[in-house]
Amino acid sequence: MVKAELTKKSPLRILEKATDGGLGKGNIAVIASKRGIGKTACLVHIATDKLMRDKHVIHVSYSSRTDHIINWYEDIFKEISLKRDLEDAMDVHDELIKNRVIMNFNQDGVTMDQVLNSVKAMIENGQKSTDAIVIDGYDFTKDCDVNIKKVKQFAKDLSLEIWFTDSYEGEVVSEGDIPQNLKCCEEDLSIVMILKNEGTAMNLHLVKDHGKTVTEDLSLILDSKTLLIARK
Amino acid sequence: MAKDIASMRNIGISAHIDSGKTTLTERILFFCNRIHAIHEVRGKDGVGATMDSMELEKERGITIASAATNVQWGNIDINIIDTPGHVDFTIEVERALRVLDGAILVLCSVAGVQSQSITVDRQLKRYNVPRVAFINKCDRTGANPYRVADQLREKLNLNSVMMQVPIGLEEKHIGVVDLITMKAIYFDADDDHGVRYDVIPSELESEVAEKRETMLDALSMFNEELMELIMEEQDIPEDLIHAAVRKGTLDLELCPVFVGSAYKNKGVQPLLDAVESYLPCPTDIENKALDLDNEEAEVILESVNDKAPVALAFKLEDGQYGQLTYIRVYQGLVKKGSELYNIRSKKKFKVGRLVRMHSNNMEDITEAGSGDIVALFGIDCASGDTFVQNGLNLSMTSMFVPEPVISLSIEPKDKSSSDKMAKALNRFTKEDPTFRTYVDEESNQTIVQGMGELHLEVYIERMKREYDAEVMTGAPQVAYREAISQKVDFNYTHKKQTGGSGQYARIAGFMEPNEESDYEFVSKIKGGAIPTEYIPSCDKGFQAALGKGSLVGHPIVGIKMTINDGQYHAVDSSDQAFQTAGRAAFREAYLKAKPIILEPIMRVSVEGPTEFQGNIFGSINQRRGIIIGSTDEGNNCTVEADVPLSEMFGYSTVLRSSTQGKAEFTMEFQKYSKVPTSISEELIKEFEEKNKKK
Repeated sequence: MVKAELTKKSPLRILEKATDGGLGKGNIAVIASKRGIGKTACLVHIATDKLMRDKHVIHVSYSSRTDHIINWYEDIFKEISLKRDLEDAMDVHDELIKNRVIMNFNQDGVTMDQVLNSVKAMIENGQKSTDAIVIDGYDFTKDCDVNIKKVKQFAKDLSLEIWFTDSYEGEVVSEGDIPQNLKCCEEDLSIVMILKNEGTAMNLHLVKDHGKTVTEDLSLILDSKTLLIARK
Repeated sequence: MAKDIASMRNIGISAHIDSGKTTLTERILFFCNRIHAIHEVRGKDGVGATMDSMELEKERGITIASAATNVQWGNIDINIIDTPGHVDFTIEVERALRVLDGAILVLCSVAGVQSQSITVDRQLKRYNVPRVAFINKCDRTGANPYRVADQLREKLNLNSVMMQVPIGLEEKHIGVVDLITMKAIYFDADDDHGVRYDVIPSELESEVAEKRETMLDALSMFNEELMELIMEEQDIPEDLIHAAVRKGTLDLELCPVFVGSAYKNKGVQPLLDAVESYLPCPTDIENKALDLDNEEAEVILESVNDKAPVALAFKLEDGQYGQLTYIRVYQGLVKKGSELYNIRSKKKFKVGRLVRMHSNNMEDITEAGSGDIVALFGIDCASGDTFVQNGLNLSMTSMFVPEPVISLSIEPKDKSSSDKMAKALNRFTKEDPTFRTYVDEESNQTIVQGMGELHLEVYIERMKREYDAEVMTGAPQVAYREAISQKVDFNYTHKKQTGGSGQYARIAGFMEPNEESDYEFVSKIKGGAIPTEYIPSCDKGFQAALGKGSLVGHPIVGIKMTINDGQYHAVDSSDQAFQTAGRAAFREAYLKAKPIILEPIMRVSVEGPTEFQGNIFGSINQRRGIIIGSTDEGNNCTVEADVPLSEMFGYSTVLRSSTQGKAEFTMEFQKYSKVPTSISEELIKEFEEKNKKK
């Protein structure tokens, strides 16, 4: 299979279809779940899908080492290319890497302003054509109303799609609702998805979609073996 | 007399540039009472640190070569290998690590774990070297040893455990608290910064108690008795704690952390005690050799004196009395006057003068025991050679030697320099396997090759200083490679009939890309289409063509040649004819196989203040670099990128000027990658024009 065909068949097109063309520039999406379920895998898959469509992505993380994140990308890429029997996988891989930058912030108490400044410096000096930013591990319990407003403005100013992950603990989020820690910034979020471990499968539920009522189930799961987003 | 093996420590001191490694070494020598005055690396008194014996090192303030130094600490005999910190000299570091049993990893309490610390740590891991960490420069503004200890855990994945608590930081740093003895240690007992023990300052009591608990918790997993005592909340004997730390360290599962300031003479003696208590003696480490009689099977060497001697030459130095060869004895005794055999050169030699080194001073000895590091005089050998007792056929594992990535043409300025230059080159290539030299047949120029600009620069300067050889240098050249990108068939007939005996050979087969190795030859000739004796001739012919690719004249790599058919003539075929046919067939097929140019890509790591990160990103981007990632830490950021070597010339100047000199970078060879089409066209054009001129 060639690259174009592969991305066309990606289960992520279902998500785009359900949300009338996807997130859209200037908007923010969040994938929420409990800890250790596979948010990062989802995020990396979404980023990889964008990279495969020749888009430029900056991955922002708060972990200690960039090589861990690189490994995530390597694993997800390997799974995708194996599953779909991608042609010239190595060449595609080398192309993707050029369009991806990982930015790591590992000091305590780094402010959103600092992060956005660094990302801006990267976009202005290196990755001019950045389309999307994925942010893994941001803590939504700390001043998220103010911060997410800033991010939203940033997304608008630079015409970016921004994807977050959010982890919540000790809370049963009822069907169709969003986690408590996202409530304070709900108005700035365009898409919210929840990854839930339900019996045998990890279901990906769409719970907020650009102010529309969500009627349909996405029928998407996270495959526990490959850690890829897949059809039910 | 050979020394007692259990009291022997062979250690290295590894660190990032400017972490104060040389200063620490100097203080260790001082406290071991071997030298009487302390000189700074960039000494105001113009004497320079004792370990940096070469003049050049004194001038640049960096340590280039590793000199082995023997010191006494109490009853312990320590051999210190001072390893260079700059990445361009990693072969020196790697070679030193090969002969070490343990290491002190020096870190700056302000800068923390830096790019070079990561490289050095990776090397230590490769050779399974147990280590203790020393967080230096606690007297500096912004010192935070706790943060550095956390970084050891996060960035280097080391199980770091603080063994001490600093008493005061920055300008108030006056001593340390030992968490095992629970005593404060000050360094003001006498004018020579002797150790004074005292009670723990009251304001530190709670912090010390907390850190001790953390330490004991971490140690409990290395000793069951210790764990039980902790659970029962009983007093814990010091011996038990020492034993647990030692076990954890030797098993590479623990990295005890010590703090201090070498420059201010704080914490050096306790560190030496730690070397004694926690780092291994030669018998704690298993060393292996390769049995050349038995398909290089691994043989375990025993660090005992009554076995046949096996030693490794790991360092050559040109002293005033001739060549000095540093050796590490792995097994048996090396005695003055005895005879040894050099496995590589297959020559016997007699051990003449045997000395123990203290930087520039030496002590004559009659024998060196197993595990010891000593030097021999007047032995003709190369570094990396194995010496054994005649009759043994063992070789120490070959050391990892990277291929050079950069070359430079050099030309002597006058006739007298010419001989001196040859002499110097001969010496340097023996000392350093990553430094190579050859004469280019076409231009008749002498070419030197190495691991980076600075690497070559240092040797050029050494030529001038040590050998009085003035040379002119050309522009640095990148070591490009050529390769093919698709499989092609070939069928070539070489025929010549010009009086006398003719030449005839036909060979056919295919050429294909090969990822496994640089070159492979397969013969599938059946039925004698090519007589057996001419098959190696075809191989030779192909190999002759590998040296210079037709795109830009650089070596061709990653090729597999298969021959499956051919023809010969009873009279006119010869070895020569088949070689010629091989060469021509290769060249013809090569052009059809869509050849490409490969260039060395360096992994570049830039560290600097966050305020300049835009400039750093930009500078990499302008150099066809791919930014892999960046890490923000407080006011500092580290940017990792893959950048083609050809774009890195002069980068240090650019970086300095765009960051007010506040950023620094290191780089090391990462891989070979395809050159983008636009640039490869340029390179080809350049090559063609160069050829036209001739």
